[in-house]
This record gives sequence, C-alpha cells and structure tokens, in this order.
Amino acid sequence: MDSIVLTSLIVSLIAILVIFTVLIVLIYTIKLLVRLIPYEEPPAQKITSETLPKTSPPSVSPDIISAITAVMATHLGKSPQEFHITQINPK
Amino acid sequence: MELTFGDAATKIIGSTGFSSLTLGDGTMILVACILLYLAIWKKFEPLLLLPIGFGCLLANLPLSMMASTDSGGLLNFFYQGVKYEILPPLVFLGVGALTDFGPLLANPSTLLLGAAAQIGVYTTLVGAVFLGFDLKEASAIGIIGGADGPTSIFIASKLAPHLLAPIAVAAYSYMSLVPLIQPPIMRWLTTAGERKIKMEQLKPISQTVKIIFPVVVTIVCCLMLPGVTPLLGMLMLGNLFRESGVTARLHETTETHLINIVTILLALAVGSSMTADTFLRLETIKIIILGLLAFCMATAGGVIFAKVMSKLSGGKINPLIGSAGVSAVPMAARVSQKVGAEEDPSNFLLMHAMGPNVAGVIGSAVAAGVFISLFGDPTVDSNHAEIATNIISTISSLPK
Repeated sequence: MDSIVLTSLIVSLIAILVIFTVLIVLIYTIKLLVRLIPYEEPPAQKITSETLPKTSPPSVSPDIISAITAVMATHLGKSPQEFHITQINPK
Repeated sequence: MELTFGDAATKIIGSTGFSSLTLGDGTMILVACILLYLAIWKKFEPLLLLPIGFGCLLANLPLSMMASTDSGGLLNFFYQGVKYEILPPLVFLGVGALTDFGPLLANPSTLLLGAAAQIGVYTTLVGAVFLGFDLKEASAIGIIGGADGPTSIFIASKLAPHLLAPIAVAAYSYMSLVPLIQPPIMRWLTTAGERKIKMEQLKPISQTVKIIFPVVVTIVCCLMLPGVTPLLGMLMLGNLFRESGVTARLHETTETHLINIVTILLALAVGSSMTADTFLRLETIKIIILGLLAFCMATAGGVIFAKVMSKLSGGKINPLIGSAGVSAVPMAARVSQKVGAEEDPSNFLLMHAMGPNVAGVIGSAVAAGVFISLFGDPTVDSNHAEIATNIISTISSLPK
C-alpha cells in the first residue's frame, strides 16, 4: 500500500480516537455538572383573584395550552406526545 | 494632446472590460450566475450562496480589481479576514449566541453521535489521498463532511488556501442539499420499527449548568486541542453571552447584526477567491465529488452509531437522530424530525435531534483542532504575532 495512504489511515484512526476521547471527557464532565447542580423548579407564583385577568381572553393562547399539556402529562404520568388536547372551555 | 476619433474610440474600447475578457472569466461569470440562480430561485442557502455568487461575479469582471488576489482592491481587504482567520471565528461567535445547548446537556451521550458523524471527515480524507491530494489538502477537503461552513473555511485557509474556493462552495452547496442527501441514507440504514421509536422527554437543566458549560468546554477542549481555540472559544463566548443573562445587548448584537455583517464579508471574500485560475481545475470536480462522499459517510456514520446506541440502550434511542450529528444546524435536526414523522406523525424527534446536532458543531470543531495539531504550521502563528506587533507599533507612532 502506498505510504501516504497508510499515513492517512493512521491519521484518521488517531483523529477519531482523539475526538471520541475529548467528547467522552466532556460527557462525564456534563454528567458531573448535572449531578452537582440539579434542576430546581422555579417557585410557583401565587395566583390571586387580583392577578387574574378581569375579562376572559378571546382565545386560549399557545402558552396556556403548553402549560396545561405539561400539567396533564405530569398528572397522568404520560409523555405529552401520548395525548392530544382537542378542546378547552374557559368558564 | 491630439486625439483623432479613431484613436479615442480605440482607447475607450481598450479600457473596457470586454477587451480583457477571457474564456475563463466568461465561464466563471456563468458559474456566478448559476450560484445566484440556485440561491434566489432554488433557495439553496441563499444567505451564503447569494453573496458568494455575487463576489464571484465581481471578481471575474476584468479590470475591476475585485478578486481576492488584487492587492488594494475592496474584496482583497475583506479577504484578509479569511486569510488571517478572523471571520470564521466571528461567525462562530454568532452561532454560539444562537445555539441552545439544553438538549445536549439533558442527554450528554448524544455527544457521541456528534463524534460518530465525523467518520465522514476521515473516510473522505483517505478518499482524497487516493485521488492524489496531499495530507494537508485532504484534511481541508475531508472537513466538508463536518457540514460546517466556517470550520471548512477556517481549515482550508490554514492548510490549503489554494483550495479555499471549491471547498467553501462544496460545503455550502451540500449543506443546502442536506434535506435531499440525508433521507434516502437514513431510510436505507434503518427499519420502519426503528424509525417509530419514541424517545423519553428530555429532563430540564439548571440555568447554572448552562452557564458553566461553555466555560468548561473551553477549558477542556482548548487545553486538549489548542489549535481549535479561535473557533471553539468564540462559539462558547457567544453561548455565554446568551446563557449568562447579564449581557443582553451583546447577545442581541452577536446573534443578529454581527453574524449578518460577518456573513456578508466572509461570503464576499470567499466569492472573490473564485477566479478562473483557482476554480476551473480538475481538483474542483474531485472536491465536489469528495464533498458529496463526505456528507453521505457522515450521515451514515451517525445513523449506524445511533443504531448501536439504540441496541445498547434497549431501544430507547431513535437511530434517526444520528444523522443530525453532522453539523448543519438546525437543518439536519429538522430532517430527523421529518423522516421520523413520515413513519409516525405523532413522533416528535426535533428536540432529541438538536442534541447531536449541536454536538456536531463541537465535534467538527474538535476534528478541525486535530488537523491543526497534526498539520498546522507553527510559523503562521509567529507571522500573526509579527503582524500584530507591527500594527501596534504603527498605531503607537501615530501623532496624538
């Protein structure tokens, strides 16, 4: 085999090993970081009658649908992809 | 001074570009028009191909002094930003400000997919050597498989500046063709059952981790591969602007105005290097073919590695996210989502694919760092230091 082709194969092998080494070091660093600094839920805002809008909105915003989906998923123990909200009737 | 009508007419005709137009110039003007057509009507990476095409057009108009080699010309000044590796890191600064590493932090093992997709880089390197390129040139061509334009330009300008134009054009052209190149390979390498795998919802990540992450990556990667510091350092600085929450103005500037301005300068500079003598060569055709091979192998490498990870995890990973390990953010992730949704419309892979997608940015930068460590010319850095010293002394000598 031509020496330059052999060199290129060696370079490729070494380079792949280096990339995997660097990224595996990063993976464990991230795992350590995530373990040391776990996610904490932001404190829930107290909802009082004063903070609620006086008039109901004309339509349900996507943010509200996302929030309802997240709460439903937690409550039902399912992934948000497993159910679909078809109708919301504000009272 | 007396001028007859004939003399005046001859002189004026002689001063027009038509008198100096060569077949090579004409062909390159045609190439520029094709790039403009692809950008405007076919919407192939228009933000880049349009200024590259126009830069190419300007560079090939005879007597216009707009080629990158025309000393004192406008685009020659822009080209200094490529030559001295200033513009690609600035693009990375903007990319960092635009990138959310949350999906990667939530599932760090997807970093391996970013590494696996770099296999395309190395198979292409071997292929390029087979086709007669030397190792430096082959490295610069191989990095096209990283699907990262700024990294390709950075490496080409460092290791094979004479191949910069075809490498940049191949990289950006194939990036725009990701939605066409990747899906057949993804379908070919996966079964319908694998494509239907639904992945668990990603865990939320603490904001503190998101802030510490860019600092840690900079320290770890740049200590291991110092050559990659300009690219990775800027990427992580941009991300720190985003996540720190205390530099809103800098974040806003880098993710909008700065990246737009730098993209214009970079693309025009690359376009200006596309002259007949650098582009109309057999090497260009070889690079175009090798670029396609690089993209295909990178996609296949990512998907195959994701299949292995899927088997090892007991079917918790959808192999389709492996193809997003090539950089091309966020297009490659969108392709994973699209191919997954074709099999099962209720399967949402986008956020899962964003992990390997941003890992691909880091992976291609690390791959570039390996090449710089192996083939980088240390005298170039000393030249930079010399230039910086000259500039500082010139500024110091200016009257106050």
